[in-house]
Amino acid sequence: MDATLLQQMLLGALLALSVYLPLRCGQLSLATPGFYAVGGYVAALLSTQVPLLAGSGSTSPLWALLLEMLLAGLLCGLLALGIGRVVLRLRGIYLAIATIALVEILRVLNLNLPFTGGATGIFAIPQPFATPLGYAGFTLVLLLAVCWLCAQLEQLRLGRAMAAIRDDELASASLGIDTQRVKVLAFVASAVLAGLTGAIAAHFLNSWNARLGSFDASVTTLAFVVFGGSRLWLGPVIGGLLLTALPELLRPVGDLRLIIFGLVILAGPVLFPQGLITPERLAAVRRHWPAGRSPEPVP
Amino acid sequence: MSDLLQLLFNGLSVGAVYALFALGYTLVFSVLGVINFSHGAVFTLGGYFTYLLIGGAVGANGLLAHAQLPFALPFWLALPLAGFGSATMALLIERLAFRPLRQRQADPLLALISSLGAGVIIVNLIQLLVGAESYSIPTTALGHLPAAITIGGAQVRSVQLLLLAISVVLLVLLTAWLEGSRNGRGLQAVSEDPVTARLLGIDSDGMIRLAFGLSGFLAGVAGGLVGLSISIAGPYFGIGYGLKGLGVLVLGGLGSVPGAMLGGLIIGLAEACVPADWSGYKDAVSYGFLFLVLLLRPQGLLGKALPTKV
Repeated sequence: MDATLLQQMLLGALLALSVYLPLRCGQLSLATPGFYAVGGYVAALLSTQVPLLAGSGSTSPLWALLLEMLLAGLLCGLLALGIGRVVLRLRGIYLAIATIALVEILRVLNLNLPFTGGATGIFAIPQPFATPLGYAGFTLVLLLAVCWLCAQLEQLRLGRAMAAIRDDELASASLGIDTQRVKVLAFVASAVLAGLTGAIAAHFLNSWNARLGSFDASVTTLAFVVFGGSRLWLGPVIGGLLLTALPELLRPVGDLRLIIFGLVILAGPVLFPQGLITPERLAAVRRHWPAGRSPEPVP
Repeated sequence: MSDLLQLLFNGLSVGAVYALFALGYTLVFSVLGVINFSHGAVFTLGGYFTYLLIGGAVGANGLLAHAQLPFALPFWLALPLAGFGSATMALLIERLAFRPLRQRQADPLLALISSLGAGVIIVNLIQLLVGAESYSIPTTALGHLPAAITIGGAQVRSVQLLLLAISVVLLVLLTAWLEGSRNGRGLQAVSEDPVTARLLGIDSDGMIRLAFGLSGFLAGVAGGLVGLSISIAGPYFGIGYGLKGLGVLVLGGLGSVPGAMLGGLIIGLAEACVPADWSGYKDAVSYGFLFLVLLLRPQGLLGKALPTKV
């Protein structure tokens, strides 16, 4: 497989997990592309403006990328902490609309602030990796780490609290769960992940502009999660990988590809309201291949 | 004084279109409790229908290059026909993207995605058929109306006045219909409580179709009006309106018809007040309002506060 496509798919899976985290405690936030854009601008600005991080100008050291990711994650996390405390008082569709507005406000700021390069954005971002395969390897490590964390979450008290809030927020609060704290935590984690992904993507794409964090991206990333299934962490990963690959794989059909993509997004929720990956289907697969059997009961 | 009047007219004519647009969102939201993300695409479609019906020719790109209808209708006839065309599309979307989910009693949030899929299909079909270029409806379509008239020292384009007049008439008719007619009150009953409405013998599914048809009609007319007053800037031009419409919707209160009108006018006026030096930030006005309203008064200006159900 083409390494460039593989890298795009891995980035898609990371963004899908970023949407999944708040959704795991029942909060539909579409803010991911906003933080993705902010993370990308942090990396793009630092690596083109700070001589120490810019390396030779065309290639940059790996530690510079790691430092940029740290700063991007930190900035997005702090932003999300401030914003999350306010917007997470909203529920359901109101939260979704508020986060769409947040993405749009960030987009307008990115387009108009004096240091973000206007509509053309930032160009010639130095490359920490020489090939797309290098990027894909690095991103795969990050994706596996995030997947491992998400899998751990199922066992932890925090993960159970998130599931409880998703099922019934009032009942969880009455059982002593600090629901606001858990929700803000999930929102911050989602933003940090989106920021990290943006920092990698800015280098990979070589240029960065405000269009990368738009409403279209909000919906595409949400489609990843809905398509893959929002009940297990595996769902968004599969959804992100498949749906990012789809428009590229459909390239041979030319102009029809986006129409077919639209059909998939339309038919997906109608045919599989639970998404592709559900605990029931996973259990059925495990019964089929007992080697991969796990002792945990189906929730 | 004339500057202020100019500002007022500019703001109101933009705001009236926002109001028409947001009303379509509100009608569907009030009966289903979800946002129809294909609304922007239906609006775009209305613009294209109007352009074709007044006898406009397709450009050099797309499968239908250089095609043209064999007749050219006057604008006043083309606009309502375009509205009916968009309404038909909205009904089709209801059938394909909303009804199957309702029948399976799936999570209503899924309709956000399926309706968006419908929007993606429409936008790309338009691009495939007539290309990505922008079209403008010539003001000669209006016949012998003067280009601009002077009111109290302010130069007002007659297109703007027409836009304002048509929007106001539609808004008044819609309100009267909702309050006065049997179907209009049925629609209100379904939006209040679909189960009770069904028990009272109201055809909920029919009312939902009615809401979609009306919302599509309003979107189509708004699309034609914007095509006349500004231009149809390619297949994607409805998306920006779709997002701003969300701001209008929340400002007025989700599901409130008078709220959508008031919200549209307020945001139109507020945008007109943004100084030219800051015009890049104009698009953020609607979202800034939206944020403030959500934080200070989540039910919107004219919406009802819902008690939390335990």
